[in-house]
Amino acid sequence: MLLAVLIANSEGNILVERFNGVPAEERLHWRSFLVKLGVDNLRGVKNEELLVANHKSVYIVYTVLGDVSIFVVGKDEYDELALSEAIFVITSALKDVCGKPPTERLFLDKYGKICLCLDEIVWKGLLENTDKDRIKRLIRLKPPTDF
Amino acid sequence: MAQPLVKKDDDRDEEADYSPFLGIEKGAVLQEARVFNDPQLDARRCSQVITKLLYLLNQGDSFTKVEATEVFFAVTKLFQSKDNGLRRMVYLIIKDLSPSADEVIIVTSSLMKDMNSRTDMYRANAIRVLCRITDGTLLTQIERYLKQAIVDKNPVVASAALVSGIHLLQTTPEIVKRWSNEVQEAVQSRAALVQFHALALLHQIRQNDRLAVSKLVTSLTKGAVRSPLAQCLLIRYTSQVIRETGVNSQTGDRPFYDYLESCLRHKAEMVIFEAAKAITELSNVTTRELTPAITVLQLLLSSSKPVLRFAAVRTLNKVAMTHPMAVTNCNIDMESLISDQNRSIATLAITTLLKTGNESSVDRLMKQITNFMSDIADEFKIVVVEAIRSLCLKFPLKYRSLMNFLSNILREEGGFEYKKAIVDSVVLLIRDIPDAKESGLLHLCEFIEDCEFTYLSTQILHFLGNEGPKTSDPSKYIRYIYNRVILENATVRASAVSTLAKFGALVDSLKPRIFILLRRCLFDNDDEVRDRATLYLNSLGDGSVAETDKDVKEFLFGSLDIPLTNMETTLRNYAQNPTEEPFDINSVPREVKSLPLVEKKAPGKKPTPLGPPPPAPTSASDAYERLLSSIPEFANFGKLFKSSVPVELTEAETEYAVNVVKHIFDHYVVFQYNCTNTIPEQLLENVTVIVDASEAEEFSEVGVKPLKSLPYDTPAQTFVAFERPEGTPAVGKFSNTLRFTVKEVDTSTGEAEDDGVEDEYQLEDFEVVAADYILKVGVSNFRNAWESMDPDTERIDEYGLGPRESLVEAVNAVISLLGLQPCEGTETVPNNSRSHACLLSGVYIGNAKVLVRLSFGMDSSKEVAMKLAVRSDDVNVSEAIHEIVASG
Repeated sequence: MLLAVLIANSEGNILVERFNGVPAEERLHWRSFLVKLGVDNLRGVKNEELLVANHKSVYIVYTVLGDVSIFVVGKDEYDELALSEAIFVITSALKDVCGKPPTERLFLDKYGKICLCLDEIVWKGLLENTDKDRIKRLIRLKPPTDF
Repeated sequence: MAQPLVKKDDDRDEEADYSPFLGIEKGAVLQEARVFNDPQLDARRCSQVITKLLYLLNQGDSFTKVEATEVFFAVTKLFQSKDNGLRRMVYLIIKDLSPSADEVIIVTSSLMKDMNSRTDMYRANAIRVLCRITDGTLLTQIERYLKQAIVDKNPVVASAALVSGIHLLQTTPEIVKRWSNEVQEAVQSRAALVQFHALALLHQIRQNDRLAVSKLVTSLTKGAVRSPLAQCLLIRYTSQVIRETGVNSQTGDRPFYDYLESCLRHKAEMVIFEAAKAITELSNVTTRELTPAITVLQLLLSSSKPVLRFAAVRTLNKVAMTHPMAVTNCNIDMESLISDQNRSIATLAITTLLKTGNESSVDRLMKQITNFMSDIADEFKIVVVEAIRSLCLKFPLKYRSLMNFLSNILREEGGFEYKKAIVDSVVLLIRDIPDAKESGLLHLCEFIEDCEFTYLSTQILHFLGNEGPKTSDPSKYIRYIYNRVILENATVRASAVSTLAKFGALVDSLKPRIFILLRRCLFDNDDEVRDRATLYLNSLGDGSVAETDKDVKEFLFGSLDIPLTNMETTLRNYAQNPTEEPFDINSVPREVKSLPLVEKKAPGKKPTPLGPPPPAPTSASDAYERLLSSIPEFANFGKLFKSSVPVELTEAETEYAVNVVKHIFDHYVVFQYNCTNTIPEQLLENVTVIVDASEAEEFSEVGVKPLKSLPYDTPAQTFVAFERPEGTPAVGKFSNTLRFTVKEVDTSTGEAEDDGVEDEYQLEDFEVVAADYILKVGVSNFRNAWESMDPDTERIDEYGLGPRESLVEAVNAVISLLGLQPCEGTETVPNNSRSHACLLSGVYIGNAKVLVRLSFGMDSSKEVAMKLAVRSDDVNVSEAIHEIVASG
């Protein structure tokens, strides 16, 4: 299960978060835990360079893209490698929507599209679409080209 | 000209900082949402409003029921628009608003229409939305369309239906299971993702059918799996099948191993890693099988991608626990990872190296770690310290460099948990490696000279008091201890006074000088410090060089062989009920309360540091003691020695649920039957248990306490008491029948009829066994406890335990037979080991302390032999323990 996808700005304010199978009372813990993880480790990290951590059987893969930091949390079949696949899809979709690694402003400008992308990529904790071109078409309700 | 240009730049900067959602307010957005009702829809504007709503929801704003309903109804109007972008937004916002069941009906018709639309993308999205908001009843209506969608030629539609199926399987499995033919077809799909989703769903549908999973794996491992993601799933399912089938006993081959091995050459790293990991996790994996997997992982160690390095080193770390030799080839690669930027990777590399390293590489390794320690966080440091502790126990000859390392890091900055881990390690090394004692104690002394943690200072002072007097030159520690009296807070000062007194009591030559120091403590401004000093000065003699009386030593420094939690509860009870009688320490129960089994949570739902603390254990035996002493018939039975855990006497979900707790007294046994009536239409009265003790000859029934009335769902107890010869561990089997008068109850009024019928209900038998006479009482240091017992009481014998599946089974059987407390974690048997030593301790009825050393060995034919050595306060008890094993 992909437990969470969370995108924050450089100051640690949450821009988008999607939790799956995480009880509401634990979300606050996760939120602050991830933000702290980012503050501690993401300074000076290059765009899309992946960082990884685990706690028991929960894995966290995170990175920066422009002004935003992106965290994905998973367990069981979503181990660090599956998560890196998921975060790769997310970063490439983001770059696609924004045209470049986004500033916070640009990210918020494209907020609606980004929500749609995330909706296509992760569906209630399962990875659904992995190809950015297909996602680009799907969010405009265009059928994929490869069929 | 320059002026306006600069100004323009300024403007742009401001614009870049300005958030499009600045000052966004829920009320205003809800107002804006009225555009959804316009007869002429402005698609662009509507999309913008939905974006704002999404932003609010994502920021944690919540809508009231009325607000959500209003927005939801307005959104449904947008289905009229033909604008694709807007329609896509509508699907998303409906999912995020998650409407309640009575509102769903408003959109179902629109969504059903979309589900049958000719536009593929409408179909896919409508499926996802419907499955998100629907319940079982609606599902049966749309099931036909979903089945079609699974085999739709548009991969997006098929995937949407399959992923929906995975989710629906949790809520309505009976419906989803009917789709397996379609899913089976989708597994053969040419579209990579469809295959991936179909495989996941098919496996979930069939996961309880081992044969079907095995067939699925057999067919797919031969055929073409298109996406790396699906391949990873297949590898996982394959290893599950391997686990369940085991090794072919004739050829020694493992089924599907070749498939796993071939995956090591796949082009996707994800698949390579998954296969390598699967191989390392095979049960009883051989070196030959491991080698190719380790080679692949070694390559991944030097990958440029941190995720791969992390995955590889994490897997190797696990392998190192069971097959350290197999990992040694990777040592050089792992050494270079010590300087990895990602600290998680570096820490894993170090702890792996510490497990695989040999004696000669210790020094080099320690040097590398020293450089590394300064720039990692405390939590990683603790992991390293723990790894060093176990390394030191493995190579005791290397204690010097390891102890030096520990003392160096002890001097550096660090938080409490980290320092505590180091101090614990040093203490453990001092205990287990005699040569390390003196240097270790001095390191600890130096540490308390500048220690900011009161808890650690007092712990070290206590330890110094125990170990310091036994060293060659005890006087050298006095300075450090007395400095505490001068420099520290009251808690530490009080501990220091006790430690000084211990030196005085145990080292006669130091006594006069210690007395001088203790007298100075009489002027301390803290009560506790003065009290302690006074107590010691008055009880240790006159300050001359003379041996301290043994009783005094026992009184002052003897171990309090009562669990402190028990002491605390008994004292609390005593303080709550004011009485003239002085507190009697013998009234404190000695049984160690086992922690309640913590329910296994889904692993990793939350990281431990964030979770709430576990609930404090409640005391069952205190409650029992109070309950029994409140019953006049049992009040003169004396002190309760032990209460067993409840033994179920009925199956789950029967009319009456009964379990029994065995209470052991010196001379008596009381059975407490806990009864629950699970039938609302019945009231039971005069409930007793008729016990047939014909197979328990030494017991004779002395009393029964019936239960007057047992209403529905209100547990209550009835008791039966037996007498038995004092002090002996009499055993036997008891058959039980529940007898009662049953009365019908009118459930509408809750009133019972006046007349009842006598009835009986057969319960299961239970036994009183030897373990019921033994209390689980742990000791903190088994070796010291063992050596302090009289060797003449030792009885040793050897036993054959016959063929066993594994040593674990044999060890557990003996532990539960004896009912003793396993010490120092020796109850855990490493996988596949052929010999094991286990330490047990406890108290036998009559308050005789018992210590047991067990050595197990297993030969190639799985025959287990056991050597049992017992020491006890009483030789007869040592013999009794042997009798228990011989007759068990």
